[in-house]
Amino acid sequence: MFVCEDKYDVVVIGAGHAGCEAALASAKLGAKTLLLTQSLDTIAQMSCNPSIGGIAKGQIVREIDALGGAMGRVTDHAALHYHMLNTGKGPAVHSPRVQCDKKVYQFTFKHFLELQPNLDIMQDEAVKISVSDNGVDGVLTLRNTFYHTKTVILTTGTFLAGTIHIGTEMFRGGRYNDMPSDGLAKNLREDLHLNILRFKTGTPMRINARGLDFSKFRLQPSDNPLQAISHFTDEKEQSKRTFLSCYITRTTLETDKILRANFQRSAMYSGNIHGLGPRYCPSVEDKIKKFPDVTSHPLFLEPEGFHTEEYYIQGFSTSMPEDVQRALIKSVPGMENASITRPGYAIEYDFSDPRDLYPSLESKRIPRLFMAGQINGTTGYEEAGGQGIIAGINAALKVQGKEPFVLRRDEAYIGVLIDDLINKGVNEPYRMFTSRAEYRILLRNDNADLRLTPHAFKLGLLDDKYKAPFEKYQALCQKLIEHPAAPVDENETELFPWTVEKARRHADIYHKYAGYYERNKKDAERLAEMDSIKIPEGFDPSTVRGLLFESAQKLASVKPQTLGQAGRIPGVTPADLQLLAVHIERFRRLKNARAAH
Amino acid sequence: MQHTICALATGTGGAVALVRLSGPEACRIWQELSHRTHLPEPRKQILCTLYDGEEVLDKALVTYFQAPHSFTGEDVVEFAVHASPYVKGRLLERLCAHGAVMAKRGEFSQRAFLNGKMDLVEAQGLCDLIASGNKASHKLAMDSLDGKLSARVTDIKKRLSELLAQIEVRLDDVDEEMTPLSDEFISGEINTVLVHIKALADTFSVGKYIKDGLKTALVGAPNSGKSSLLNALVGFDRAIVSDQSGTTRDTVEETLELNGQKIILTDTAGIREHALDPAEKEGMRRSRRAMERADLILFVLDASRPLTPEEQELWQAIRRQQKRTLIVWNKTDLQSAHPALEEAEKYEQAEVSCKTGEGLAHLKKLITADVTEAQTADGLMISNLRHYEALLRAQTELESALIRLQTQAGGEIYAEHLRGALKHLQDLIGEVTPDDVLGIIFSKFCMGK
Repeated sequence: MFVCEDKYDVVVIGAGHAGCEAALASAKLGAKTLLLTQSLDTIAQMSCNPSIGGIAKGQIVREIDALGGAMGRVTDHAALHYHMLNTGKGPAVHSPRVQCDKKVYQFTFKHFLELQPNLDIMQDEAVKISVSDNGVDGVLTLRNTFYHTKTVILTTGTFLAGTIHIGTEMFRGGRYNDMPSDGLAKNLREDLHLNILRFKTGTPMRINARGLDFSKFRLQPSDNPLQAISHFTDEKEQSKRTFLSCYITRTTLETDKILRANFQRSAMYSGNIHGLGPRYCPSVEDKIKKFPDVTSHPLFLEPEGFHTEEYYIQGFSTSMPEDVQRALIKSVPGMENASITRPGYAIEYDFSDPRDLYPSLESKRIPRLFMAGQINGTTGYEEAGGQGIIAGINAALKVQGKEPFVLRRDEAYIGVLIDDLINKGVNEPYRMFTSRAEYRILLRNDNADLRLTPHAFKLGLLDDKYKAPFEKYQALCQKLIEHPAAPVDENETELFPWTVEKARRHADIYHKYAGYYERNKKDAERLAEMDSIKIPEGFDPSTVRGLLFESAQKLASVKPQTLGQAGRIPGVTPADLQLLAVHIERFRRLKNARAAH
Repeated sequence: MQHTICALATGTGGAVALVRLSGPEACRIWQELSHRTHLPEPRKQILCTLYDGEEVLDKALVTYFQAPHSFTGEDVVEFAVHASPYVKGRLLERLCAHGAVMAKRGEFSQRAFLNGKMDLVEAQGLCDLIASGNKASHKLAMDSLDGKLSARVTDIKKRLSELLAQIEVRLDDVDEEMTPLSDEFISGEINTVLVHIKALADTFSVGKYIKDGLKTALVGAPNSGKSSLLNALVGFDRAIVSDQSGTTRDTVEETLELNGQKIILTDTAGIREHALDPAEKEGMRRSRRAMERADLILFVLDASRPLTPEEQELWQAIRRQQKRTLIVWNKTDLQSAHPALEEAEKYEQAEVSCKTGEGLAHLKKLITADVTEAQTADGLMISNLRHYEALLRAQTELESALIRLQTQAGGEIYAEHLRGALKHLQDLIGEVTPDDVLGIIFSKFCMGK
């Protein structure tokens, strides 16, 4: 065994969308960080669709970006098609979505990581996390190299004990063509005794565009003018670039017939898959089964890159056998002569019950072990990235002995995401929807910077050169909110990358929602009040007489840190909270009295 | 910032009721209610008029305790008002309308404790109090009356959740495929729900007992002492509001106030004149008619003698009414004969002597005790102010949604109001089901990536 002489503050295991953000964030905060990945060539790989953003997800990307994360900037760099979703509806639900060149995306991200001081990247597979009395202290790899570290961030995606299904064919893999992480999976289950469960997800087939009849599709051109997904992109320059188009078509009665005739041959229905899949984004066979009355489903053709004829068929996710997949393709108008380049497949993988996490994403079971992304039961690049940056920040803060950084539900979708995960747990892969956010009016794509960028400066995640323009922008927004007709220098250049136009847009939206803004804020204050009441270390809810039995059990298993968090555990009643409030105060007084003796 | 909370501090009965208001907004709310602009002098009782809009609600004795020198350690205003249910209920309603919320069980004491006004020993009693409230509200669903309320509210909630799901799914519609909901559909659904909520809420503030009085039928054989009981009740209380003959010549109606509750007593006076048969039939007919109109039946029996077959027959007729019934054993000053009455143990009973006045106070209590808890014709009535408040708030949210619908404000705005309404309904039945709407979305709609 080779014991690496470098001692790390943070080791990130896995270089997907969560791992990459985590590694960048912790390195930026000054923590000596190591990013371990099975393969340097698949860093930040878009394993499923070639797009970043989407409804509620686009908001998360904007939040990551406002916090100084890389996902938004890399996306703009790799963009091949822009589309602002929901523009027919109110601005609170406008969501950016950007199609990307997959190769450009991953290599750009890799380059970002390579340029980051304090960050080492190593191609090797982690197989064991070493734990002593104080929690995590090292990581052992497949090559039998040992790294000393103060914290570990697990971002394992679908790799833990991954199994791939295509029809009745089954084989091992963390992703098609990649090895599953079996050693680490065994370590987490048997040595660390994490509460491991199984989920399932899937991806559609890719096809070669050479045989497509585009005249039979509906064209979906890139937005013009476009809105960049990163706050730091020069939109004028970005608009000068060349973009590709996407296409929309539909499944037919023939598609329906083929699916119905082959249900038993789908991995989903053959009994081979035990993991739970998501209710949204179901495989196409799922859609037919659950919504038999809907005879036609939309399909979106999305280019995989600038230098390839491969297209991703959004809406055609399936685990049917290969022959059925071929027949399915031919049943769609315009695709009669298309050929499949990679079949769709389903994948099962291990995840860990997120209720075992603190809001910092540190494990309650193993101190100094953090987790982010699919290992916490989520799905989606954006959800992964959002957790990644928080885990990265908090691992670094932990090493530095500082208080964790936690976003509230009224501050960010990322706050909603993590709060939901740790309090409610998951019974299907969790994706974000705007309907999950009770403060939807506050959590918009146009104000992600105003909400979160001050945190980024405070933590040291953003270059100080942005500070002056941002403060100018904040002041301008405030001015336009208070005096919409106030004179403004339209050619103000010191705002860059922010603009007068953005400030004006923000002020308009603020006015549209004015009353609701205040209302949401007031609700949020009440929440913050509850969240400010900490449940002290050593306080045992099971000693509280009069709690409903069920509530006591739930409190014991989730171990909330604040009264607010306790209130968000399903089933805990307002009276339970009252009791807790009194007992916490009682506990505090008794402790003080003892200390005085 | 803490809520300002309010609650009735005294139980039922008595001529004066104490309503307590505590929290940072207490003074402002008092000012709004009294149409005054200055602050009251602390710890000094003042007489002041309380307004319900422009109308006078009551003249009250008001005392202000300035934080931290109060029971809770917060600003506290105490209102001593007349103990009529209307005044008490309406005052609490107005306090809530101005921004206070109904206190949870034990919440005043809880605040007192958290603000250092109570020691650890006292806190234990406080915990027991909250805990018993916790169990009681948990038991709601099992209770027949509250079970019905809970079922009704659950129905309303379900309908509202489905509408919200329809709106939410379009906000989260990734494929941008769904046809928009028509304004007519949304307003139709909201109006339907509103009708149900209003109907329920109306049972509280204009609840028929409070507004019209409790119709009470005095039923019994001629020599059972019915009339003397009537006189005793009326005379004892000396609170006859009006004294008029009934609309028919054979019944007498007396309106009186018992324990602050309006009662309309109907005596089937005609029975006496017709004495035994053949008029007994006529007496039965009148008794039945009085019973049919009544909310409460007082069955008066002479405890000093065995029951007659006629009384047994009358008892069967009373039981067929399936109404709230009190059995009144009269003449307990005489030797008791312990007469047997079938299934009497299933009914509330009182022993009185009109001659000595013994037991009358207890009977009065029994008559009025259940008034606000009693059921309306369809078996459901809001008796709890907290429930009423929640319904009112839900109603306001839905009305706001309708107004915003007219201005085409958009789905995310309608959703804000529907979410608000659902939250209030949830408070009402004390359940927490956060994923209702997403559940409906996933089960009813095919959601893309």
